[in-house]
Amino acid sequence: MWETFGFEFVNFYLIPGLVLGCIYALGAIGITLTFSILRFANFAHGEVMMIGGYFTWTAMVLSNDLFGIPLHPIIAAIPAVMLAIALFILVDRYFYKPFRSAPAIRVVMASFGMMLVIRSFVQAVWGPNQLTFVPGIAKPNELVKNLTASVDMMILVPNKHFWIIAGTIVIMLALSWLLTKTKIGKGMRAVSDSPELAKVSGIDVEVIVKATWCVGGFCAVAAGVFLAMDLQMLETTMGFRMLLPMFAAAILGGIGRPFGAVVGGLVIGLAEELSVYPWLGDGSLISPGYKTGVAFTIMVIMLVVRPSGLFKGRLF
Amino acid sequence: MKPQIAAGLACYLMATTASADVVVGNPMAVTGPIPDLVAPMVLAVDLAAEHVNAQGGMFASGEKFVIARADSQCDPVAAVDAVTKLINVSMVTAIVGPVCSGATIAQADSVSIPAGVVTLSVSASSPMITNMESGTDLVFRSAASDAYQGVALAELAIAKGIMDIAVSYANDDYNAGIAEVFVNSFSEMGGTVTSNEAHEPNKASYRAEVATMGAGSDNLALFAYYGSGGITIMRNALETGAFSTFIGADGMLAQETIDQIGAENLGGATFTTSTPNLTTAGYAAFKGLAEAADVPSASPFVANSYDAAFMMALAIEKAGSADRSAISASLRSIANAPGEVIQAGEFAKAKAILAAGGDIHYNGAAGPQDFDANGDVLGYFSANVVKDGVWEGTIIE
Amino acid sequence: MDMLIGYSLYAISLLTVGGIYAILALGLNIQWGYAGLFNVGIAGFAAIGAYTFALMTTAPSSYHFGGLDLPLPLAIFCAMILSGLVAFFIGLICIRLRSDYLAISTIGIAEIIKLFLKNETELTNGPRGINKIPRVWEHLTEERFYTKSPMSWFNDAQGWEQFFDSLPIWWWQPFFCATILLIVYVIYKLLETAQRSPWGRMMTAIRENENAAHAAGKDVTRRRIEAFVIGAMVMGLAGAVLSQHLRLIDPTNTFDPSKMTFLVWVMLIAGGSGNNRGAIFGAFLVWTIWSASEIFINSGLHIFGEMISSMDISLLKTRAGYLRMVVIGLLLQYILQKYPDGIMPESRPVPSGIKL
Repeated sequence: MWETFGFEFVNFYLIPGLVLGCIYALGAIGITLTFSILRFANFAHGEVMMIGGYFTWTAMVLSNDLFGIPLHPIIAAIPAVMLAIALFILVDRYFYKPFRSAPAIRVVMASFGMMLVIRSFVQAVWGPNQLTFVPGIAKPNELVKNLTASVDMMILVPNKHFWIIAGTIVIMLALSWLLTKTKIGKGMRAVSDSPELAKVSGIDVEVIVKATWCVGGFCAVAAGVFLAMDLQMLETTMGFRMLLPMFAAAILGGIGRPFGAVVGGLVIGLAEELSVYPWLGDGSLISPGYKTGVAFTIMVIMLVVRPSGLFKGRLF
Repeated sequence: MKPQIAAGLACYLMATTASADVVVGNPMAVTGPIPDLVAPMVLAVDLAAEHVNAQGGMFASGEKFVIARADSQCDPVAAVDAVTKLINVSMVTAIVGPVCSGATIAQADSVSIPAGVVTLSVSASSPMITNMESGTDLVFRSAASDAYQGVALAELAIAKGIMDIAVSYANDDYNAGIAEVFVNSFSEMGGTVTSNEAHEPNKASYRAEVATMGAGSDNLALFAYYGSGGITIMRNALETGAFSTFIGADGMLAQETIDQIGAENLGGATFTTSTPNLTTAGYAAFKGLAEAADVPSASPFVANSYDAAFMMALAIEKAGSADRSAISASLRSIANAPGEVIQAGEFAKAKAILAAGGDIHYNGAAGPQDFDANGDVLGYFSANVVKDGVWEGTIIE
Repeated sequence: MDMLIGYSLYAISLLTVGGIYAILALGLNIQWGYAGLFNVGIAGFAAIGAYTFALMTTAPSSYHFGGLDLPLPLAIFCAMILSGLVAFFIGLICIRLRSDYLAISTIGIAEIIKLFLKNETELTNGPRGINKIPRVWEHLTEERFYTKSPMSWFNDAQGWEQFFDSLPIWWWQPFFCATILLIVYVIYKLLETAQRSPWGRMMTAIRENENAAHAAGKDVTRRRIEAFVIGAMVMGLAGAVLSQHLRLIDPTNTFDPSKMTFLVWVMLIAGGSGNNRGAIFGAFLVWTIWSASEIFINSGLHIFGEMISSMDISLLKTRAGYLRMVVIGLLLQYILQKYPDGIMPESRPVPSGIKL
């Protein structure tokens, strides 16, 4: 059946890899920011991503049941972003802040504990079962399909993937504006480079910390919603299983380099999908059973060869 | 802290030991990777206990038949800990459960066999369980081994005219086991397996995998739990058009699959399950009772769970006491011929026969629960296709 | 009487599993408490030890490589060596990474080890795992052991059978538990000695101020690798003992990082890192809370249900497991904040003449 497409490498390996990469990238932005500004690896990041998806689902269901208005996930994500940011800030206030001046291990332990608490909380409230986000299967966009088929390069992309890729680009542009043009963004970069210097130059570090949680929370919910849009369902472990590839992406890009994290996310996403392309012969290059290992291997090699990442991030 | 612990322990002791109840341990994976499959099974176990207690309870004195539940999480560490508590603290007479094969083997090898306690698993289907005992007769199960289901599925595929197939299985104990049986029997029957790959459960995307495998065949044999990647892999396969025909086993069989993917997209899907034979009297009896109690009678292993709990009550009744050592023999006696046939829910009738010194032969809701020498049962399997938005099964002969 | 035996056996099982976790926590204490190495791949090293032990001691099986049917002590020794070897190679490439980076790379490596165990089906029987792993003491009752030397020197098969039949069914449980506690004690003594030795003092110096130690001419990298390897060997030993306790191991569920790695970290941090007694105490405390909390929550729900009989507690029952995890997570947060240095903080001999 493949000969009818003749373009399967792009359609079935490259584009899915890019979509996965976008989701990793958005998650990795939050991780890299917290890592560089608060100086710890936040293990609860994946869970905030997941709970953002659950908030969005709840908003969609409520609006449909109470007002009869079906919301697009991206609109329903707006209240979810607010809730997730509030959650991040509350968690920071009560569970991370007491450890600000303590060794990093304690706050990492605390974040590990929060990961457990948030996930179990979601399982207790929404139940452990999967929730349907959008039913059905997503057919490729007909317009693009016909247009590209006429020039013998048929591209098959469902609408949800357009949303995800476009959404990621918009968020990236906004983030770039925030970090380079606004006062708060400049402050964030300053604290990331040197908290002591930032403090003596009159920057209120606690405000910057709150801003970091806002940006990280926003990106995390975006990643969670995009992941839910792609999977078309919600699951309580979906955050955790994205966590390690996102760490890998953050490290690959260099800690404290949001755009590095984006590149890292895309590289990891593409590497995972392309690892099962039949490069040699008919079978996948590596057994799909080892696919999860691709991200880890890239990460470990990167840590050993060039721990500062592709874009020369911070080293602690 | 200390006084509260003591007070809690005292309360607990009173709660469990004040009355001379018959307590049966029920480790179930209520949390863990497949909570959604387990939830209705838990209801079925409770329903069986309800029926026993509503029909006069245990023994002449009418003692209460109590289910002591613990969380086995599908995890050997948790299952061993849970069953240790059940056997030593709750002092259970026997174990009904656990759900997963790995947990069942671990708890049996580690705890229940050394303690001389009977295990009657409700859904463990690994072929490894068949020969796991050496010299004891303490492990039973009310669900058929995958060795049978894999063969049934291969026969079904051949009967549907499928001659070449790609196999993708989730890399967990259940799905890897049944895939292996399927691949072997499908090849023996003359079919060609174009590729046979494990996939890691719970990934966000399987598009590349299905695209690679789809190059060899239009048919996919999918062994996965719907809740941990199965639906995603199927959706990816349908979206990319890599496969048009799907077959698989019970892990995919859930209303959730239809609700999420949509009935209109599942025309080419057939999944088998270990099922009650819907035409038997045993199932008819159970179905009525289950519907009255809002228990989804046709969900995977629900009838098996009911059978296991109910048979355990019958076996203890037959043994005449809550003594652990008598259960193995009496379980065989009530489950196997000869004897008067007892249907699901007929506890009072069975009790009367046993009191009069008669023999009974329980006819399971899930199928005949006649244990062979290894404590295994044969089961029925059904082929399920989507019809009017729900799974509709027909028994594979 | 039965009741008394039952409760004692449960107490013994708490000590047994607590002891296994104590070994893991001691291994981690060498790495983190002594040398400041942030290893989050505990499950990986335990898995290597467990699989080595299982493959070497099980009876020949068609499901996996071997079993080689070798003596148990030899297998435990090999489990430690193999675990240490793997740690050595990981150490060579990763040891210079600092704190969080080492943490993330060890998580990744532990996952790769698990993927290997899961996918190399010929060797390990893949996700279905290895069962019938002999458990020390109890293994004596297995035919393949009592018909072989040295047991066959003392009695013939029939004699042994009669002897074991005459014992209570649970006779081996106290022995198994005592063996584990003995291992914990021996490791504890060795570590205490090591901590007070020049080697231990040098470790502390490196942990506290690497540059100063380096300037003083200490080979920092080599010492760190040493601590990493010794810790991993202890974890491999724990894995070998764990596989005996469970008698079935599988890569996915048995070595789940949240129950293996994370729980051990909680034990060490709550007990007091750097303090071996703290590590042991933390292991027993946290495991007892982990295991016994199920009993209390279930009986609590039971009593709750009796009080309000009209209420449907079935939903609560299925969700109780998750609520338990929420409670345990919050308890951890409480301990972390209330005892920042653990319940038994590290105590170091104060040099005379210096007032702190």
